[in-house]
Amino acid sequence: MQFCQKILQNGLQLIGEVNPSAKSAAVGFFVRTGSRDETPEVSGVSHFLEHMLFKGTERLSALEVNAAFDNTGAQFNAFTSEENTVYYAAVLPEYLAEVTRLWIELMRPALRDEDFDLEKNVIKEEIAMYKDQPSFDVMERCRGLHFAGHPCGNSVLGTEAGIDALSSGQMRDYFGRRYAPNNMVVAWAGHFDWDQVCSQVLEGCAGWSSQLTSRTLGHFAGSHRQQRLDRPTLTCEHICLMHEGLPAQDPRRFAAMLLATIVGDDVGSRYYWELVDRAVAETASMQFGAMDGTGVFYSYFQCSPASAAQVRRTVGAVFDGLARSGVTNEELTKAKNKTLSALVIKNELPMGRLVDLGFNWIYLRQYHSVADDVTAIKAVTVEDVNDLIRQLSPGVFTEFAMGPGLTA
Amino acid sequence: MDRLDQHTLKNGMVILGEPMEAVQSVAFDFLLPAGASRWPEGFCGGANVVSDWVFRGAGARDSRQLSDCLDGLGLQRFSSTSSSHLTLGATLEAGNLGEALDLFGDIVLRPRLEPEQFDLARQLAIDEVRSLDDEPHQKVMLKLKEQFYPSPLGRSTVGEIADLETMTAEAVADRVRRYFAASNAVFSVAGRYDFDQVCQQLERLFGTAGGPGPEPVKAGPQGRHYTHIPNDGAQVHIGLMTATARLTDEDYYDARVAISVLSGGMSARLFTEVREKRGLCYAVGARYHALKEAASIMGYAGTTPDKAQETLDVIMEQFRHLQEGITPEELARAKVGLKSSLILQSESSGSRAGSIGTDYSMLDRVRSLDEIKQRVEATTVESVTGFLRRNPFTEFTVATIGQKAIEC
Repeated sequence: MQFCQKILQNGLQLIGEVNPSAKSAAVGFFVRTGSRDETPEVSGVSHFLEHMLFKGTERLSALEVNAAFDNTGAQFNAFTSEENTVYYAAVLPEYLAEVTRLWIELMRPALRDEDFDLEKNVIKEEIAMYKDQPSFDVMERCRGLHFAGHPCGNSVLGTEAGIDALSSGQMRDYFGRRYAPNNMVVAWAGHFDWDQVCSQVLEGCAGWSSQLTSRTLGHFAGSHRQQRLDRPTLTCEHICLMHEGLPAQDPRRFAAMLLATIVGDDVGSRYYWELVDRAVAETASMQFGAMDGTGVFYSYFQCSPASAAQVRRTVGAVFDGLARSGVTNEELTKAKNKTLSALVIKNELPMGRLVDLGFNWIYLRQYHSVADDVTAIKAVTVEDVNDLIRQLSPGVFTEFAMGPGLTA
Repeated sequence: MDRLDQHTLKNGMVILGEPMEAVQSVAFDFLLPAGASRWPEGFCGGANVVSDWVFRGAGARDSRQLSDCLDGLGLQRFSSTSSSHLTLGATLEAGNLGEALDLFGDIVLRPRLEPEQFDLARQLAIDEVRSLDDEPHQKVMLKLKEQFYPSPLGRSTVGEIADLETMTAEAVADRVRRYFAASNAVFSVAGRYDFDQVCQQLERLFGTAGGPGPEPVKAGPQGRHYTHIPNDGAQVHIGLMTATARLTDEDYYDARVAISVLSGGMSARLFTEVREKRGLCYAVGARYHALKEAASIMGYAGTTPDKAQETLDVIMEQFRHLQEGITPEELARAKVGLKSSLILQSESSGSRAGSIGTDYSMLDRVRSLDEIKQRVEATTVESVTGFLRRNPFTEFTVATIGQKAIEC
């Protein structure tokens, strides 16, 4: 495993971890932009723009882009979050140069009006699709409530009306400000030749000009408000809780990750034994989401409407227990074992490795090998986790609930 | 490279292995002939209950002790139910394989199956069936399989509430003892392991266990041609299925190439015609779905009510249009796509353990990656077009969930 890095004069950062024993290679463009970087007038533009990058360049039409990717056999896609837009592809090593060249070209898209107008339909269908997924919808609404007034509460997808009102000019303007080389990281993992990919990027991207880009940072502890929505078409009760977490830059993030595993892993966690094992809730989970300058823990529960009150009481008792006596050594050891093996297994695939590599660089500008992360996780102590509980008070949370309502 | 290990225990249980040098992990699956279609009438959902119940205590360990031991090894366990099999498996760091197999020996042969734990596992299964109302995409695909395959081959793997409510712990436990008899199981392992050691351990754990196994499945008639389930969701969820070549058929690889042409990548016909040219959907696609007895292409699209009819019409037109043949460019893209996904998938121990087990259960042998690559490579425009002319896609089974029904 060999790590390489380079920064172009225009600020574009290149990183790579070469693994000659891998059978594939992965490439990713990590753009430091997402819904938190949007003003209300352009809500949803980051995600819409992600779709538009596939619509081609001055030289390539949308259909030609799709064919060009499929000619390489790539498994490729992109995703947009509150703070990152990531384009990636996993390919056989012999196709890496071709797929890297294609991504470089697409990073300077044509953004044609006719493509923009047609793609609006697809975006609105995606918004409608997520409305039919209450587990997603409740999280999105809870995030908005938790981060009320903070840009991290901005919706990634936006609303149908907002997307209707968005113009291609607004998108071009946003693109010009956010897709600057100094706001991007290009990463590779797996079987590839570092010098070759570097010279490709030099040739393709050295002419891009840097821009002054910024982001409103600032930690936010959460609004701690409670809200519910009666929706008679639902069958189950969907409950999301969010409470204060740590930023991605905080060295205690591993302790936070382990805390979420102890409390809300799929199996063997406190939620599991109190709620799922006893069939009070069908789903109960907690995850830690580290973000740029802030962070959250989010819990999700799905249960029958009749069990909702019991779920709330039980979760209250779980949080009281944490505040009173913290976590135990046995719990921490189990959580470490699960986390470590998940980390190692995920990173065996170049595509899995790419994600960790890219995000470490986006947030920390540091290289962490898998072995470094393993060491950091092993070093977490019960005291570290219990200090976090004292500081972050998981019992103080924002709640959004959706269900059929009392008449059901 | 590409070695297959194979051994049969004294009782007839088949052990398969695929060593992978580049990984530190190992994954294993027990394929037990206890899938949804093997159960008698009145037991729809039995396999789903059992997949939880068997983890609620086994051998000398109660539910909590067993879970703590599994977590202590850091293993990621999973269970899945198909028409034919209930699969229990795990992925973990290679060093813990021996201990994990000892625990799974108890889970498969000596699950405690306590009645009070049955009630909880059954309640979770009932809640899961109810929660499908809030997940229309998943529900429509379950409904579709039920209609398409001759009963009981397409029976719901989640369950039916009426059956779940009347099942008794005793009757289900009898079935577990019969279906889990190790002589009828297939064990597959992939990643880092010592095959001799694995076989010796499995011989010790399972070598004397035998039993009758499940009764043969008698397939009845197919279900309805079209079903609509009304709901007030944002989208109409459309599923459609049509018959195609089975894994054992001579023209299987021609069928796989044809499905790639239809929906293999972003340049494939469905994505191009439905999403790129018309903007009708966000999610649209079709994939191969196989049972031992029958095989199909399973398509899905989600779209807002006003576009539902046009969406289904365009999709069906694309299926029908295939009989007019494919182009050399489409063939080339399908080949590189199929070969790439095969190699990318081969880097993951979990997916290799799954693939070799499934191959064996379908074919009574395991295809090597080289064999699959060669067979894909051997297809031609003529062979695929010939297959499509002999087997045009003209008969469809359709299911929809949403605000309005469509004509088909």
